[in-house]
Amino acid sequence: MIPVLVTGAVLALLPWVFGTGGYSLRITTLMLVMIIYTVAFNIIFGHTRQLFLCLGALAGLSAYLSVILVREARLAPAAGIALGTLGAGTLGALLSYVAARRGLGVIFAGIVTLVVSLIFQNLLLGLRRYTNGETGIVTQGLGVGLAGYPVVAYYALLALLVLALGVYRWLMDGRPGLAFGALSEDELTAELAGIDVTRYKVLAAAVGSGLIGLAGALFADFNGFISPSIFSLAHIDIVVLIALLLGGMRTLLGPVIGAAAFTLIDELVRPFGQATVLAYGVLLIVLFLAFRQGLVPFVRRLARVPVP
Amino acid sequence: MIAVLIDGMVQGLQLGLLGVGITLVYGLGGVLNLAHGQLAVTTGVAAALLIGAGLHPAPAAMLGVLGAGLLGVVMDRTLLRPAYRRRGEERLLLALILTLGFAFVVDGFLAYRYPSVALTLRLPAPAVVLAGVRIRTVSLAVAGLGLAAFVLLGLFLRSTLLGSAVRSIMQNETGAVLCGIDVDRARTIVVGLSALLAGLAGLAQGLFSHVGPEMGPEFTVLALIVAVVGGVRSLTGTFVAGLLLGLVNAFSSFYVGTYLTWILLLLAALLTLLVRPEGLLAYWT
Repeated sequence: MIPVLVTGAVLALLPWVFGTGGYSLRITTLMLVMIIYTVAFNIIFGHTRQLFLCLGALAGLSAYLSVILVREARLAPAAGIALGTLGAGTLGALLSYVAARRGLGVIFAGIVTLVVSLIFQNLLLGLRRYTNGETGIVTQGLGVGLAGYPVVAYYALLALLVLALGVYRWLMDGRPGLAFGALSEDELTAELAGIDVTRYKVLAAAVGSGLIGLAGALFADFNGFISPSIFSLAHIDIVVLIALLLGGMRTLLGPVIGAAAFTLIDELVRPFGQATVLAYGVLLIVLFLAFRQGLVPFVRRLARVPVP
Repeated sequence: MIAVLIDGMVQGLQLGLLGVGITLVYGLGGVLNLAHGQLAVTTGVAAALLIGAGLHPAPAAMLGVLGAGLLGVVMDRTLLRPAYRRRGEERLLLALILTLGFAFVVDGFLAYRYPSVALTLRLPAPAVVLAGVRIRTVSLAVAGLGLAAFVLLGLFLRSTLLGSAVRSIMQNETGAVLCGIDVDRARTIVVGLSALLAGLAGLAQGLFSHVGPEMGPEFTVLALIVAVVGGVRSLTGTFVAGLLLGLVNAFSSFYVGTYLTWILLLLAALLTLLVRPEGLLAYWT
């Protein structure tokens, strides 16, 4: 657990390093959200090889659910966030269960989740009465009020990140970690060794999706505004995929370093407008072709340091 | 009613053209090309640029389709080669991510460099009367294009030596290698062919309305839906699925609106994957 606490402590210092001025604090807070998504995706894809191309949909489902429940059903904001998180976790678990039961390989699971995220985007655009379509929803006054207190928002998301890393460590150090290792090597062999493959895959998907949902709901509150494009494939799934590959799959710090590095790169290419999409594409190709191991395993080998 | 029916069949042919490219490449190497729609869009943008430069629309359209084919070959030689070196699920995953990255490269480049270039091809006569039914010239042109492409593809696969080689690779890759078939060359040709078909589908779209740089993802998704419903390994299945979904699309757009139609098409793909992952119509082949 020590690396988890050290990571938390280092990130806790960032607002002092970069200042609590509006823009830099906003960027670092968004970075935290992206790190949480990546940590969760590492559990789902890195450890149990389930290609979820619906991270944006999971985060968006929770964000929209929490906001709409508060606005329409007059729920308490905390209850809205809890239900949103539950919704995302349930959807993730369901997708994982169906894919495992139907024996869909990594590709077909990828297509199923891709189609799910497209349906979700279309529903957001179509159910105007609740979602305002492309215009999006201003979430001011519908959440727990993180938008007004950027420093509080930063530390709230940092707390969630530390929780996510703690859960990750706890899973990996225990029985699930062993099961994940076995089933990602060879599912049939794992099944024959007495591991309930479906159960552990669903566990990974549920925990990961729940984390993504909670981060999405808190993001909706902090950001003050949500719209379909914020939760699109290009803005979340691709970014998380790049961040995870960059940092290194199946490591504790990989997602943290990868997502942080990506935030930096993204800031550098931001002035080029539409060309950022091009840059993402090139990055994805180069990373997958030439640097599949990622930064953390690279440093491990190069410096012979046991980076967690 | 008859007009909607005809519209649906013509759209179905266009969808089939789109889907069959994905099926060909998947059947041959187990590679799901997520940049397929971007190839179709490339045709549109290239042809529009050529027309803008003063070329007559017909040769411009042909050059545009050839451009897509060329891009397909380049993609195969640079990006898919490394994927083909691996086997099984590893290959599928690598190719999926690489083509996704390539799709982003094409989308980003076109949106950045040519944000407002779009192809619209106008045919002279708006409609002709055939056996008492008014049919738009566009529909006739697209139907002719689609049917001709399918017949030629069928002839290529059935009657040429290369076609036999391609079918043998689809059945058993190792066996084909042992028979002395140059698998790499056959793959490059098939990826190029699939890109040409995507280009034709893009052209058909240009005849109907317009093709712009932002339409890549939509084309890819449509192609994916058709291929999935038809069974990603079956060419006939894809053809039939294209027609079926085209009819669904036309009737549903006419009676319930385009928004629900999209969801209907996506749900069709989702249900197919969950109920019969090998494809709803794969059973006919």
